[in-house]
Amino acid sequence: MDGQGQMSSSYQRFPTVKIREMKDDYMKFELKNTDPSIANALRRVMIGEVPTIAIDLVEIESNSSVLNDEFLAHRLGLIPLISERAMDMRFSRDCDTCDGDAQCHYCSVEFKLNVKCDGDQTLDVTSLDLVSSDMRENPVVAVDRAADMNVFDASEQRGIIIVKLRRGQELRLRAIARKGIGKDHAKWSPAATVTFMYEPDIHINENLMETLTLDEKREWIESCPTKVFDIHPDTQQVFVVDAEAYSYDDEVIKKAEAMGKPGLVSINAKDDSFIFTIESTGALKASQMLLNAIDILKQKLETVRLSPETEEDDAQFIDLEQHMRGGGGR
Amino acid sequence: MNAPDRYEKFVVPEGTKKVSYERDMKIMNAATFVIEREDHTIGNIVRMQLHRDPNVLFAGYKLPHPLQYKILLRIQTTSQSSPMQAYNLAIDDLDKELDHLKRSFEDEMVRLQSENREGL
Repeated sequence: MDGQGQMSSSYQRFPTVKIREMKDDYMKFELKNTDPSIANALRRVMIGEVPTIAIDLVEIESNSSVLNDEFLAHRLGLIPLISERAMDMRFSRDCDTCDGDAQCHYCSVEFKLNVKCDGDQTLDVTSLDLVSSDMRENPVVAVDRAADMNVFDASEQRGIIIVKLRRGQELRLRAIARKGIGKDHAKWSPAATVTFMYEPDIHINENLMETLTLDEKREWIESCPTKVFDIHPDTQQVFVVDAEAYSYDDEVIKKAEAMGKPGLVSINAKDDSFIFTIESTGALKASQMLLNAIDILKQKLETVRLSPETEEDDAQFIDLEQHMRGGGGR
Repeated sequence: MNAPDRYEKFVVPEGTKKVSYERDMKIMNAATFVIEREDHTIGNIVRMQLHRDPNVLFAGYKLPHPLQYKILLRIQTTSQSSPMQAYNLAIDDLDKELDHLKRSFEDEMVRLQSENREGL
């Protein structure tokens, strides 16, 4: 394979994944055998480049509420909408069916809101009052409406409050939701949080540790702000209870030095093993967010491939260079 | 009033190439790639992948200015390779890595689901 030397070689990595916990809006997993650059690229893409659908254009017909029109438009934009379809939708800026601002089902979803307060009690206008005009099988609806489909328990089916109305006040509007990415505006980000940490590799110097008295051991363990170490009740040995609780604060290392025992413990961050925690706004499932991020990253790599013209230009350039050097090959 | 449109951050303007390439006139096998409308996400993964290639003598990227939405990627290779070859190889490898990652994540999801079913 490698005999030809050129394109036959590969320096590919083979990452592995282990899911620790998976819920609709939360996921924790281990990513191993890869590089911090890949972990960070995935994090960045999930936050800023995985598309979702959010309200982007609001036409207000009547607003006698206490909030002004732009305030309401902003609040509407921040409501997470179920965005399972977003990957297949078009951005309205490159939708050729409509001129970008009209509504066609390839790039937009229309919502209507029509509420008037007639009673004496203040009336909450919530995301549940938004009515989608989308009638297809996988409709784009405000996230909390999906709660009816037993995602959360009944006590939480209250919707997201948009504004409160007093007797006689009314709100009538039409809103157009579009596909977008978090880089454009944070309302399109499907991520509530995406973080990763390096897995710590903790080694206790057992010989040095045994030179400590029980009280000294306790004192040393107490110096750690998080519960990483403990004393075994029978053997009275110090052991690691939860390596991942360690927050790279160096407190135990400083404490060991202060106690005159440098090198009591060595802690290193493994740079090929990561623990990811991702939380979604509800627009996408956490697992779908990761899958979409991988696809988006692949698409991005595809767009940065060299075009044939660029490669050709260079080939001609090499010919020219060789020609100038006095012809012939190398 | 004169604020640039937000989409200028990620839409390549018409008439501009996504990736342009310029050879170094003084150093053999060295070149700069200008990648329009990309940032640390692409820059860093390509750079780190290039570092795995023993034929690459230098690979670095920079984001020249936060309001210029482009990155410069500089590569120097041995005479066994060329900057273009190394660049293509890095992208191929990253693409394969992501395929592998996707497959292993999907397998893990299936494993987790079947495990949950047995648990019930």
